[in-house]
Amino acid sequence: MPMLRGFLILVLFFLLGEAVRLVFLLPVSGGVLGMMAMTLTLMVTGGVSEELASASQGLISVLVLLIMPGVVGVFFTADQFQGQWLAVGAALLVGTFLSVLTTLLLMKFLIRAGTRSQAND
Amino acid sequence: MTELPERLLSMMDTLSASPALAIGLTLGAFFAGNWGFARMGRPLWLPPVVLSAVLLSATIAVLSLDYARYQDGAEWLRVLLGPATVALGIPLYQQMHHIRALWRPILCTLPLAATLAAVYAVVIAWGLGATPEVLASLAPKSVTAPIAIGITKELGGSVPLMMGGLLITGVVATLFVDLLSGLLSISDERIRGFALGLNGHAIGTARAFEISPTAGAFASLGMGLTGVFTALILPLVFHL
Repeated sequence: MPMLRGFLILVLFFLLGEAVRLVFLLPVSGGVLGMMAMTLTLMVTGGVSEELASASQGLISVLVLLIMPGVVGVFFTADQFQGQWLAVGAALLVGTFLSVLTTLLLMKFLIRAGTRSQAND
Repeated sequence: MTELPERLLSMMDTLSASPALAIGLTLGAFFAGNWGFARMGRPLWLPPVVLSAVLLSATIAVLSLDYARYQDGAEWLRVLLGPATVALGIPLYQQMHHIRALWRPILCTLPLAATLAAVYAVVIAWGLGATPEVLASLAPKSVTAPIAIGITKELGGSVPLMMGGLLITGVVATLFVDLLSGLLSISDERIRGFALGLNGHAIGTARAFEISPTAGAFASLGMGLTGVFTALILPLVFHL
């Protein structure tokens, strides 16, 4: 029961996010808007109830299960993209390698620059 | 009295019309994938999601189920993706003190890194002669599924191809974050978590929660911000 009560809160925030998305014609998913609303609400109320914590942990741990139905689609539409696989594979592998490298270097550099300027203050 | 094979066929038909079969198969493949992953000694290069997806696809093919029908049934699971995304706001709140301490590097890194995540992929694919449909399917590869579906539709891409790209991106992003943070001697779990979420969406975030709750919170933040940012920017850039 407590977990279901937490789940109800998550669903309500999701619906809120969807409502905001539809009313303001935003290109962002209701889930992400709901996530932002959830974080802001918790910052205002200042605490996570046990029911909300258990429901969210449960859902987060099965996140991968929830994307599986979408993921298997690629195996059933594979022949549609014949002759494109080299481009797709290279873009995914090399592109992701470069973007991970960029993120790590930027964060490392900026954090070090930040601590240095703090030390100088 | 109809023959047994005929009844078997019509049974399969009726069962596959109900969501229970699709959900059962997905859950079964999920647990089998996790089990196989643990049995193989948890190899980083073969995360449970890939194992499960291959098993699930093979089962659907072997049972010769209609893929569109499977999708309809599995919609019941996909509906939960929305509340699950909302749930990521809770670790985000719980780790807010860590995030506050790093807001400046985060805000500087995000726009550049999220844009480049899309640009690198599109430029490489374009250079190798990919069609516009393929480019539109690859552009949101680092974005979490519920947002990426919307972006790809808006750009005119293929949702199944995008989802496959999402899977591979999540897996290789996890591998590369591990590899590169070792090479660059980055042990800060906040940086690793942020890079996992920004580049590897839900799959990277799942991996980050294995490292620590702090890494998980930074991954949720990276995933959320990348999703919002990419959804706002990509349609504008793509139409230029």
